[in-house]
Amino acid sequence: MITHSADIVIVGSGITAALMAASLAEKTTKSILVVEAGKPTTPFADRVLARERWRAYGESPWKQDHLDDQNATGNTWGFSPSMNVGGLAMHWGGVSPRYSPEDFTLRSLYGIGTDWPFSYDDLDPFYQEAEERMGVAGEQGPVALDPRGKPYPLPPLPINYNLAQLQQWATKAGIATWSTPSAKNSVQHDGRAQCQRCDTCYPICPTGAKYSPDFTWGALVASKRITLVTETLVRKLEADPKTGRITHATGNRTTASGEEVTIEGSTFVLAAGFVWSPHLLLLSTSSAFPNGLANRSGLVGKYLAGHRNVNAYLRLPMELFPGINVQHSLVSKQFMRVPRSSRYLRHDLRIWESSVGREPRLRGDDGSIQFGDALMKDWQQRAKGATARVRGYYDVLPDKESALSLSAEKTNRFGDPMPNVSFKDALESATLKNWQEEQLRDLFRTMAKAGGGEILRMENSVNDLGQEHPTGGCRMGTDPTQSVVDAHGRAHDHENLWVAGAPTQPTASCCNGTLTFVAVGLHTAAAIASPAV
Amino acid sequence: MTTRRGFLKAAGTLTAAATVGTATSACAVKDPTASNATGQDNSAERMRGFDRILLDAVATAVLPASLGASAILAVTDAFVAWADGYEPVAEEMHGYGYADIRYLPADPSPAWRAQLTALDLLARKHGMDGFSMLSLAKQQELLGVVLRDQRGDRLPAPLGASHIAVALLAHWSSGPDAWDTALGARVAPGVCRTLGDATRKPLSVGTGPRA
Repeated sequence: MITHSADIVIVGSGITAALMAASLAEKTTKSILVVEAGKPTTPFADRVLARERWRAYGESPWKQDHLDDQNATGNTWGFSPSMNVGGLAMHWGGVSPRYSPEDFTLRSLYGIGTDWPFSYDDLDPFYQEAEERMGVAGEQGPVALDPRGKPYPLPPLPINYNLAQLQQWATKAGIATWSTPSAKNSVQHDGRAQCQRCDTCYPICPTGAKYSPDFTWGALVASKRITLVTETLVRKLEADPKTGRITHATGNRTTASGEEVTIEGSTFVLAAGFVWSPHLLLLSTSSAFPNGLANRSGLVGKYLAGHRNVNAYLRLPMELFPGINVQHSLVSKQFMRVPRSSRYLRHDLRIWESSVGREPRLRGDDGSIQFGDALMKDWQQRAKGATARVRGYYDVLPDKESALSLSAEKTNRFGDPMPNVSFKDALESATLKNWQEEQLRDLFRTMAKAGGGEILRMENSVNDLGQEHPTGGCRMGTDPTQSVVDAHGRAHDHENLWVAGAPTQPTASCCNGTLTFVAVGLHTAAAIASPAV
Repeated sequence: MTTRRGFLKAAGTLTAAATVGTATSACAVKDPTASNATGQDNSAERMRGFDRILLDAVATAVLPASLGASAILAVTDAFVAWADGYEPVAEEMHGYGYADIRYLPADPSPAWRAQLTALDLLARKHGMDGFSMLSLAKQQELLGVVLRDQRGDRLPAPLGASHIAVALLAHWSSGPDAWDTALGARVAPGVCRTLGDATRKPLSVGTGPRA
């Protein structure tokens, strides 16, 4: 039996955990123990080669980044089985928009969904902290669309030649766009290199220009400010039946030995994402808590939220050169800040260069096979002009039964039931889905027309497989009968148990979520570090 | 249906492209085809390489002659190195889009080797000399027959090519040099390069450094 002990125990080592640990390490003198089920994945020194092999063959650049028997089933489209030091954010794309103020007051503004227990303005300082800790490069959009208390910490990634042409087109279509905020170094920053447009941000940045949590863990471990315990799966939290306080956690090494582990602490923080945080609470049953911990409301695992998208490729009468910086884009929040209208639709908008329709092909227009210079001549002809890709994420409000449950069929090596994920739209979203998607398609048609172009093709999200940038499972609120944690992420039922980041969010907006997950986590970290706690 | 993975594939050929030995990178790129380069276990002995005379003949028949003989040779060398460096059933990239762990396919090279042999046999069956001895026009004619059922609207990813001639074309055309030739500009897709240069219009091929 191995025993660990600390003042603050953080379960999980993904991006929210990393930046919370960094914040707590500065704001408290308490000892901090971080417990991760996986191990470190591909070290920085090996990432140039790992990138090349991914490009050459499609090999995963992230070695040993998951546990074979620790995975979710069901509608797992937005889920990654990554279980390693740094979590899924070892291979995130680095795109870091904020939600818009409306996201926090949907019920008040539009009469649907749920209001968050705090406002955008309340979260603004934590957004800023997240952006500064990660090093987000961003361009201030029009203030009315893109409010923020302070400037971005890094100058924006440049609007490259292709995006400049596309920005003129968007302006003609009446859409204000700017450089997508990204946790990528537009200048050398925090000991990491400037972005070199390698264009493999997802799945791997070979230069370290894109922020990933391993950099934070490296610094925190080197400074001895935290203890990082790897290959240790927390399987259960134990609570005092009388006080509800979490007394300790138990689990096992995920090494061959499978040795039992006990972790003692004064404060426990679940920072294991929207799947594993509620999963651990549901596993933590006892006679005093037969439905698991923090589950007096019966809402642990419920209200999983996310968004879907409509995507289009447009041919435009301009000259673009695909490959200048494929993964960087223009963004607009124009459609996230909409007035109340008879029908609800909010969405973001991103615009990219694309090579779709401009690739080489084996057969010419007459259908005959072509080789050599004929193939090249055909390709050169096709390569002229421009293709743009546009995509809008629209938010999907969750039904209570959009839920994570324990699988009756699948268990891990220790016999723990694995999570099953099943997304379900709230009635208001289910009713609006077809109309919302048609509105987005109409917008793309209008944009194509404004540029004298045409739609090449349009596509919807993969239906019924899950949702993107998922949240929920331990949603926050002021009413203990309607939520799992309070506005700061503290469990209503257990004074020393906190849930951090994505799982606590009542809704998931209509843009990439990681920055908000971290900001919400930092909001929680500030409460944990407060002298009153 | 749009998936993030699908987008990256569509966006293209540009990001998930094979560039072995074709590009100068601002990153210190090591040889990605080095055996067992990523520490994965690939202990099973594999036959490597191809009948080079036949492969060179196929390369000359399918690649643009305007590249020049030495470039065609280099492209073929790079293809062989790429095929030899492949690690069958290595883990695929997972992440957004699906939760299960997937694996790359079996080594395609044995089938590709057999196809080279078959091309030679086919040539002889038609009363001709071996494939490599045929005129360019005859070689292309035979290849056209062999590839008659191939999809034509775009080339597959090299690993997904069901014939070695298509694999060779796909491997070459996914590299930055081929794209630059097609675009007529020095873009170098997928090559790490200076951020600041991204704002200017790429120079025409042959007029200076890449944008």
